[in-house]
Amino acid sequence: MIEVEALTKQYGSFTAVSGLSLTVRPGEVLGLVGPNGAGKTTTLRCLAGIIPSTSGSVRIAGHDLAADPVGAKRALAFFPDEPRLFDYLTVRQHLNFVARIYGVADYEERSRPLLEELELAEKADVLPGELSRGMKQKLVIACGLLHSPTVMFFDEPLTGLDPLGIRRMKDSIVRRAKEGASVILSSHLLHLLQEVCTNVLILKKGVKVADGTLAEVEAQFSNGEANVSLEEIFIRATGGSES
Amino acid sequence: MFGAFLYLRATSLRNQVVHRLGRLRQPKYLLGALFAGAYFYFFVIRRVSGVGAAAALAPGTAQTAGMLAAGFICAVLCLIGLLRVAYAWIAPPEKAGLVFTEAEIAFLFPAPITRKALIHFRLLSTQLAILFSAALITIVFNRSGYLGGHRVLHAVGWWIILSTIDLHVNGTNLMLSRLRERSAHFLLWRMAAVAAIILYVAAVYLAASGLADSFLNGTGGMSDRADRLVRHLHDSAALYWLTLPFRIVLGPYLATGYREFAVAIFPALAVVALHYLWVSSTEARFEEGSIAIAEKRAAMRAAVQRGESPRIGGSKLKALAGPFPLPPRGLPEVAFLWKNLLSLRSAVFGRRTLVIALGVAGWVYFAMKPVMRLRSNSGQANAIGVFVLMGCGIVAAYTLILGPQIARQDLRNDLPNADLLKTFPLEGWRLALGELLAPTAILTAIIWLTIIGAAAALDPGGALAWLTPVVRGTVVLCLALAAPLLCMIQLIVPNLVMILMPAWYQSSRSRSAGVEMFGQRLLFGVVQLLFALLVAVPAAGAAVLVYIASYWLLGISTGVVLATVAVVLILAGEAAVGLWFLGERFEKFDLSGDTR
Repeated sequence: MIEVEALTKQYGSFTAVSGLSLTVRPGEVLGLVGPNGAGKTTTLRCLAGIIPSTSGSVRIAGHDLAADPVGAKRALAFFPDEPRLFDYLTVRQHLNFVARIYGVADYEERSRPLLEELELAEKADVLPGELSRGMKQKLVIACGLLHSPTVMFFDEPLTGLDPLGIRRMKDSIVRRAKEGASVILSSHLLHLLQEVCTNVLILKKGVKVADGTLAEVEAQFSNGEANVSLEEIFIRATGGSES
Repeated sequence: MFGAFLYLRATSLRNQVVHRLGRLRQPKYLLGALFAGAYFYFFVIRRVSGVGAAAALAPGTAQTAGMLAAGFICAVLCLIGLLRVAYAWIAPPEKAGLVFTEAEIAFLFPAPITRKALIHFRLLSTQLAILFSAALITIVFNRSGYLGGHRVLHAVGWWIILSTIDLHVNGTNLMLSRLRERSAHFLLWRMAAVAAIILYVAAVYLAASGLADSFLNGTGGMSDRADRLVRHLHDSAALYWLTLPFRIVLGPYLATGYREFAVAIFPALAVVALHYLWVSSTEARFEEGSIAIAEKRAAMRAAVQRGESPRIGGSKLKALAGPFPLPPRGLPEVAFLWKNLLSLRSAVFGRRTLVIALGVAGWVYFAMKPVMRLRSNSGQANAIGVFVLMGCGIVAAYTLILGPQIARQDLRNDLPNADLLKTFPLEGWRLALGELLAPTAILTAIIWLTIIGAAAALDPGGALAWLTPVVRGTVVLCLALAAPLLCMIQLIVPNLVMILMPAWYQSSRSRSAGVEMFGQRLLFGVVQLLFALLVAVPAAGAAVLVYIASYWLLGISTGVVLATVAVVLILAGEAAVGLWFLGERFEKFDLSGDTR
C-alpha cells in the first residue's frame, strides 16, 4: 500500500512537485505519466526515500517514510531508468550483497529462478562492464525483486530491454501486482500503461491534472467522444506541450 | 602543419586562461586561487629568492650534501626510467600507440597529413608540457642551493632528462607496435629485451657492490668519503661504461658551472637527437593504438566527472571472489566491508602494481643490503633502529593525514550509486559505518605494520632498562587499539566534506588543472590536518593526565593501559558522533542538488 498526502518538493524557488496526493492499494498498478520535466522521476525518488520531500507525508506498507524510513524501505524496491551497478561486483555478488542488506536468508534459492527468469544465469559470474545495457537493467530488477518487495517503483522500466525482455517485464509487473504488490510505474510508453496499469495519474508541471482508473481518466478528457485513444487523452490533459 | 599546430595550441591556451579567469568569480575557485597563491609565495618564491639551503651549511658539508642529494635523485630517475621501459616490454598494450586526444584524432587522423607529421605533432605537443614541467621542477626543487650553477642551466638539464624519457617511451611503444605487426617472434623479442634489462641491472649491481663498502666503512668525514665515492665512480671502467648513457643524459643537470655545462650539453643533445631520429623514423602503425589510448583516457576522465574511480573507465576489470564468504544474515555493515574490499582488490592489485612493487622491493633490498650488513657488523644496530623508527613514524603520519584522501573505498566512490544506497533499509549511521569499514581496515593495517616495525626497531641493543618486553608489548597493543578509531575519524572528514559541500568536492576531485584547483586540494589537505589535531588534542590530553596520575603508583604498563582506555573512550565517542552526523547528513543529502 502506498499512501501519499500533499507531497511537495522544491528546489530553491522552483517547485518540482506540488501538493501531490495518491493512494495505490495492493494489486494496483499506477501509471505515472506526464511531459518531460513534469516531476515524475522526482516524485518516484521522493516516494522511494532517495531524496527528501519538502513537505507532505508518504506511507509505504503502513510505515511513515519520514518517521520510520528503515521499515518503509524494507518493503519497497526502486528500479531506476539508468542501471547503476557496482563495477567490481559480479551478477551473483550483487545478489549476495543485496541479500545481506535486506537479510534474505534463502537468497540462493530465490536468486536461481530470478536469474533464470531474467536470462542472467549464464552471466552470473561476470562483471557489469561485460553486460549489455539490457542485461544491466535485468540485474537491477533481479536485485530489487530479491527481497520480495510489496511496493515497487519503476522509472521507465522497459528502456534498453529487447522485445522478449519487454514482454517478460510486463508479465512480471502484472503478476507481482496480482500477488498483492502495489506498483507505481513511470513511463512515456502509453501502450505499456494500457496493458499493465489499473490506474493512471497525469502530472504537469508537478501538479496532478488527472487521477483514476483508465476508464475514469478517459471519461474526464474524451469530451463525450467515443474511442478516444490514450495518446489523445494524454495530449488533451497536458495541453500537448512540455511543461 | 607547424602553423596549424601553433594556432591550435595558442588559441587553446588563450581560451583556457580566459575560462580560468572567468571562473574565479565563483568563491570556491577564488578561495582556491588565493590559497595556492599564498602557498607559492611563502613556500616557493620566497625560498627561491632567499638564501639557499646550502648557505646554512659549511662549504664542505654543502658540497657533500649536494653530491649525495644529486646522486639519490639520479638513482631514482634511472630506476624509474628502467622500470618504465621494462614494464613496456613485459606487459605491452595490445595496441601500442602515441598519446593523442580524441579531438586530435577526430581532426588530424582523417586529415591529409603524413604519419611522420602526426608523430611530429605529438612530439611538439609534449614539448610544451615538458618545458613547463622543467621550469616548475627547477623552481620547486631549487637545486642550485646545493651544487651551484644557474637555474636556467638546471631547467635545461631537466628538459634534457624529461625529453629523453618521453622520446624513449614513445620509441619503445612504436618499436613494440612494429614488432607485433611484422615479426613472427614477438614474444622472443620481448623476452630478449627483458633479459637484457635484467642483465644490465645485475651488471650495474655487481660493479657498484664495493661502493657502499668504501663509503660506509671508509675513514675520514662525510666529505672525504663522498669524494672517494665520486672518484671510485670515475675510476671503475666497468661502471663508467655501464652508466655512460645515463651520465650523458644527466650531465647538464649535474653541471656545477657554465664550463661543465658547455662540456655536458652537446653529448646530451646528441642523445636527444638520436632518440628523435629513432622515433620519427620508426615505421609503425600507431593509429589504432592511439585511438585505444584516447578512448581509455576519455573514459577515465568521464568516470572521474561522474564521481567514479578513474580505473573504472580506464581498464578492463576482472571478476574476483569475495574477500571472505558473506552469509545472507548478519550485520549489514559487513556487506559494505565485503563489497568495498572486493573493489579495492580489483582496482589495486593488477599487473602494473605487481611490477612496481617488485621493482621498489628489489631496489630497497639491493640498496639496504650493504648498509644493514655493515651496520650490524659494526654494532650500530641502534642507528638503524632510529632510521626505521623515523621511517615508521613518517609512514604512519602520512597514512593518517594523506591516507583518507587516497583510500576512497567508501561513500565517495559510491556516490554514483547513492540512489541505490538510499533505498536500503538502514539507518544513516549504519550505512556510513559500513561504507567506512574498508578504508578504515586498509589504513589500520598499514598503521599496525608501522607500530610493529617501530616496536621492533626501538632500542634493539637493550639500552633502555624500562623498556621490558611487557612494556613493549603493552604499548604495541594499546597503540593498535587506538589506531582503527583514529583512522575512522580521519575518514569521516572527507566523506562529510563531500556531503556538506558537494560542489566543492566534485570540482576538487576532477582532474582539471590550474592554480585554483591546486589551492582547493591544498585547502582540503589543511582542513584534514587541522581536524586530525582537533580530535587528537582531547585524547592526547586525557592520555597524558591519566598516565601521569597512574604510573607512579601502578607502573608503566598499567599506566599505559589506563591511558589507552581513556584515549579509546574519547576517540570512540568522537567517532560515534561523527558517524551519526555523517549518516544523518547522508539521509538528508539531496542528490538532485548542485554538484557542479
